[in-house]
Amino acid sequence: MSQTNAEINRPVKRSEVSKLRWTWEEMKNNKTAYFMLAPFFLLFIIFTILPVFLSMILSLTDFNMLEMPSFKGITNYTRLFLEDDIFLLACQNTLIFAAITGPVSYLLSLLIAWFINELPPKIRAVVTLIFYAPSISGQVYLIWKTLFSSDSYGWVNATLIDLGVISEPILWFENADYVMPLCIVVALWTSLGTAFLSFIAGFQTIDRSMYEAAAVDGIKNRWQELWYITLPTMRPQLMFGAVLAITNSFGFGAVVDALCGFPSVDYAAHTIMHHLNDYGGQRYEVGYASAIAVVLFVIMFASNIIIKKALSKVGE
Amino acid sequence: MKKSLFQKVICFVLSVATLFSVVAFAASAGDLKPDTTAATLEEMKSVVGMTSYSDYLEAYQNAESGSAYGSDAIVVPLDAVTGAEKVSESEANSWVDFKNPNYDYENAVYLSATSKATWTFQVDESMKGLYFIKIEYYTCQTSESSISSIERKLLIDEKIPFSEAGHLNFNKNWKTKTVEKVETTDTTEPDNYSVKYETKDDGYYKIVTDIKGGKKTVTTHKISQDINGNSMAPEIAQTASWGTYYCQDTTGYYDSYFKFYILNGTHTLTLEAEREPMVVSSIELVPATNTEESIPTYAEFKEKYKDKTAPQNGTVTVIEAEFPDIVSDSSVYATNDNTSAGTYPISSKAQLYNVIGENSYKTVGQWAAYKFKVNESGMYKFSMRYKQDALQGMYICRCIKLAGGDYGLADGTPSAPFLEAYNAQFNYDKDWQSDYISDGNGNEFEFYFEKGVEYTVYLECSLGSLKELIKRVEDSLDSINDCYLKILQLTGNDPDEYRDYKFLDVMPEVLYELLNQAIELDNVKKEFEKLCGTGSHTTTLETIAILLDKMGSDDGFYIAANMSTLKSYLGTLGTWINNSKSSSMVVDSISVSPVDASDKEALKRAKPNLFKSLWHEVKSFFYSFFTEYDQMGLTTLPTEDTKTIDVWLATGRDQSQIWRTMIDAKDSFTDSTGTAVTLKLVTGGTLLPSILSGKGPDVYMGLGSSDVINYAIRDAVLGISGNDKRLTETENEIFSSNYYTYKNADGTYVTLKASETYTGDGVKTAFNTKCFDDVIGFDIKNGIQPGDDYNFVEAAMDTVTLLDVTYGIPQTMGFSMMFYRMDVLAELGEEVPESWDELLSILPVLQTNNMSIGVNYIAAIDFMIYQKGGNMWKYPNDPDYQGAKIDLDSNVALEAFDYVCRLYSDYSFPVSYDAANRFRTGEMPIIIGDYASIYNQLVVYATEIEGLWEFTSLPGSWREKEDGTKEFNYDSLAGIGAAVILHGCDDLLSAWQYVQWETSADIQANYGNKMVALIGPSAKYESANVKALENLSWTASEKAAIKEQMAHLSSIVNYPGSYIINRYTKFAFLAAVNDGANAVDALKGYIDTINAEIKRKREEFDLPTLEPGEEPPSVTAAS
Repeated sequence: MSQTNAEINRPVKRSEVSKLRWTWEEMKNNKTAYFMLAPFFLLFIIFTILPVFLSMILSLTDFNMLEMPSFKGITNYTRLFLEDDIFLLACQNTLIFAAITGPVSYLLSLLIAWFINELPPKIRAVVTLIFYAPSISGQVYLIWKTLFSSDSYGWVNATLIDLGVISEPILWFENADYVMPLCIVVALWTSLGTAFLSFIAGFQTIDRSMYEAAAVDGIKNRWQELWYITLPTMRPQLMFGAVLAITNSFGFGAVVDALCGFPSVDYAAHTIMHHLNDYGGQRYEVGYASAIAVVLFVIMFASNIIIKKALSKVGE
Repeated sequence: MKKSLFQKVICFVLSVATLFSVVAFAASAGDLKPDTTAATLEEMKSVVGMTSYSDYLEAYQNAESGSAYGSDAIVVPLDAVTGAEKVSESEANSWVDFKNPNYDYENAVYLSATSKATWTFQVDESMKGLYFIKIEYYTCQTSESSISSIERKLLIDEKIPFSEAGHLNFNKNWKTKTVEKVETTDTTEPDNYSVKYETKDDGYYKIVTDIKGGKKTVTTHKISQDINGNSMAPEIAQTASWGTYYCQDTTGYYDSYFKFYILNGTHTLTLEAEREPMVVSSIELVPATNTEESIPTYAEFKEKYKDKTAPQNGTVTVIEAEFPDIVSDSSVYATNDNTSAGTYPISSKAQLYNVIGENSYKTVGQWAAYKFKVNESGMYKFSMRYKQDALQGMYICRCIKLAGGDYGLADGTPSAPFLEAYNAQFNYDKDWQSDYISDGNGNEFEFYFEKGVEYTVYLECSLGSLKELIKRVEDSLDSINDCYLKILQLTGNDPDEYRDYKFLDVMPEVLYELLNQAIELDNVKKEFEKLCGTGSHTTTLETIAILLDKMGSDDGFYIAANMSTLKSYLGTLGTWINNSKSSSMVVDSISVSPVDASDKEALKRAKPNLFKSLWHEVKSFFYSFFTEYDQMGLTTLPTEDTKTIDVWLATGRDQSQIWRTMIDAKDSFTDSTGTAVTLKLVTGGTLLPSILSGKGPDVYMGLGSSDVINYAIRDAVLGISGNDKRLTETENEIFSSNYYTYKNADGTYVTLKASETYTGDGVKTAFNTKCFDDVIGFDIKNGIQPGDDYNFVEAAMDTVTLLDVTYGIPQTMGFSMMFYRMDVLAELGEEVPESWDELLSILPVLQTNNMSIGVNYIAAIDFMIYQKGGNMWKYPNDPDYQGAKIDLDSNVALEAFDYVCRLYSDYSFPVSYDAANRFRTGEMPIIIGDYASIYNQLVVYATEIEGLWEFTSLPGSWREKEDGTKEFNYDSLAGIGAAVILHGCDDLLSAWQYVQWETSADIQANYGNKMVALIGPSAKYESANVKALENLSWTASEKAAIKEQMAHLSSIVNYPGSYIINRYTKFAFLAAVNDGANAVDALKGYIDTINAEIKRKREEFDLPTLEPGEEPPSVTAAS
């Protein structure tokens, strides 16, 4: 008997039990922590995990928001990929958009954060605010609407007419040629957000002594310092920033709506997000919209994994 | 080269033939085109070129008064009238107080709201001169009456003598119905001076005023309250009454009555109706005296009463300002102000009406009148507790007029007792003030009041001593605006900063005028500073003066570079004038106190002590958590067994408050049907989720027509035309039967079909439930065209009807109309265009002057298709296949679309523009847009062009009819917001009763008028009920224009998938305008995409569909 007791009291070794059992034991040991986590976890499950699963289920139905849905199999998906030209266009737009704004805004955030980090603390605070301001001031991007107003009194139009470049006002946000580039510019302008702040914070946390040690080990210039010490040390912040950049660049919809109206002319800036709103909000085809959402979810999830892999190469 | 004779003859014949054909075509076109309501060029010129009263007066400054020859008043013989009728005996008997012996009611003439009555009168050689025009009138209440005051144009010899005579305002007297004032004097309880305010359960306020000498006045005011003790907007009723009117100014710039110069000979005098009916019993031309001379100065007035002293046992009478006895305007009524704990009455939890003023009582000419008596004869003065925090750094003025006793005219018409009374000043302070009424220079006005005589004091909004300065700024604005337009005509919208326009050579007079106006504004600014000191108000003038000075003195590049600044300053100056003209303040109470009373007795404390305010604020803060905003205005809580329906609406708080009071009013909905209404104010997008979760309302008010159909095809909205297959037979019968409601003796209600007999002991209520066809006024199901007696136009019903089932009753109806600037068109010498071709023919003239026309392209595409005889949908008459295909690929639609695209690509209509702003500056003398929203915007935003613009029906197009003849059409498209009954409603009858009550003509008119009363003239309501228009407060000509357009409306029927159309027409339009693509090709390219989407949507709802290129059986069979 005493031996059994001793067995039980002895700390369980991970190799001795199944993975599930091990987790359970660990959870029991840390039950206070789990208790503390519970409220958030509950909300997270109800409002984030559950809807994801729900939309997966709904994507197999013809739910119209008002009547009982009926099961349709994978018709929504076949229609999405095989019949819906505009979805393919939206995919193309989204990818162009994400491919440009995602990396550019990410690198921009990183570089600007790095430069700012070199400034004396007081000036740094002011400059940080200036760069961060566009993303905290809510709908400030509407200033672009004033700048590029289609009215001949709009700032850019009036200036161009003055300079004799054009004679009739250009309908900036209603012209398929200009819509996409303008939206990308606006997206970049507003993108120096949370990621940028976390980078600045990341730079602050780096142990100074590591640079000294590195100098002894033969680091030659600031670029090497950045690549071999700074970036690897702040990998968590980099990851956080990357995830934000992806979600932002894929989910960039409201700004386009506010600037170009919905839908944008000739679907020139129509992203998957817009396509989703179009079917979910305007056409009451929530089943179909859910299928779009699932596809978007998968794309985001996949790009997250790729980024994670890429980031692990930093500093090597 | 010499032409042979033969060639010449041929040339001549050909040219004559061409000329004739043009003339012939023009003539035939003229015959077919109906008369529109637009003003002709002559009319516009006469409006614009009219002299102002000050110029008129200057022209006749040396003319003698009519009295110089010792003559009496010239009486205009009333019976010789054309364009109006004598008051009939039956009318005379039915009108309240009409048979008043003081007036010649037996010979009175009735002038309807659309009348133009003309009288002829003789003036002898000896009698020419200046006259006042005195009119005795009665404010009758007829079916034409609305909330507005009576407005007439005065013409002498068929001509308006000066522009101000084109807007004569005859006040109606308004009384708050629910306020009763009972005064009793109680001598038994002597106490110190204090005012208490008690709220009693039965809805009475009791004001107990304890006064010096141990007497106590108890005044009881009755005002309705809701269940939480909040005051409810008092119902204001017009009191039909007689009055004497001297033709006078409404702008606030002239104090004295208008003088008219009448020559000898035979003349005509015409009163042309703008608004409201009236009865006139006498018109006299009274010899004009110099009114300034006839009214004494304050010094002379005081001299008259110099032997009068303060009353022996005089007491302070406190008048609560929120309870006026009579008001000039239905919008002058009490409101709530909880900002100071010192205001009576005050409550931390309820909103009590305790002050008067702010937005509803600030326009020149509006007044509130209070009756009072004093208990001892002697000299008194007025004091007031008020807050004037609207005009920073300025004072506002009230004109004090008195009636009763020695004061006013013999017939009770009030007058200012002395000149200074025109100019009682109230200074700016951001906090409450308590002060004697004075001229602002320390002269507190003292008046003699006789014991026991009832006096009435009128507090009239006026511009007082500021009027000349404001008028000068307004004149200045006109001149600067002219200069701006002249420069604009040379430089265009975007002047080239680097080009020398040689302004000094081209338009020296404009530069001179700019300099002149700079000096003028600077002078005005200096005089303002003398009166009120420096402040943001004078800075505005100074800034503009500096800019004008620089623009005027520099002919180089400064002008071109600063045109946009000048444009924005013009707006600023307009706003400045608007603000200066509104004399807004909040008044808590007015006291009449003996001249020897101490300040402590006579003046109410302006600010309460610190602890009192603190306590009030703390209490208010905590009570704010418990206020039931949903119950605002609810008078009875529905009990378990009362029928209740849930009604949602997504408007503003003011609107929902108005509905609340209207539902609960006596003899109104709840009172006559026994159904209580829970009214909830929700935000726009809440309806869908609420239906989804099964918590939706029974009735929703103001749902857009496309949503009505969208919800209906998904089973969320019920059909109300009695033929919805998803409802049971009994349910459908509710919508196709008539019901009467009876109120039993025990207070319960019974609703029975009209055919059933009531056996109870109660009475029938005023509300009759009508069947669907009667509510609409025509049989829409069988396609029977409306006769004369319809409530809604067919186009409106079509938007809420799908496959013969109607799902809602239209509540609001918006449509585009054309607004035009009369002054600009008159100056250019162009008529208001009646057709698009005419519009295009005046376009070159506009464009050479750098002006343009504003039309929204999406609206234009839609109405152009219908004007040219097209339809958005194919097979409109095929019951199975209507809405199965888009008809945009028909020749008519493509032609219309191409026409609209060319307006923008070839004729350079601006696609994007700020309509109100450009209309205001005159750059866009013609704009087309939703009539009510543009009207509402212009009325408040562009007051400086008031009277210079009008609106009329849209320009039209010629279209070919089936028989090959041509027809002129100027249809606009109706956009509908409807009241609907939602799925899940378990008391269909009550919901149906509510829907038809709410959309009925009386209620809609009442609601529209209440909106105007509460919010002002910029709250015009676009009711869908055609009959409601009659009683809404538009002028006669505006009403005629709206009616005209209402008779010419089309609409796009909402079929499944209709949301896709606008999207692609917009794409095609932008492709044509941006990239110069062929409009027809661009649109054709989208037809298949649109049809595919429609087909997909129809499949979703199991409706028959058509493959591309397939025709429905009805068409194939016919061919």
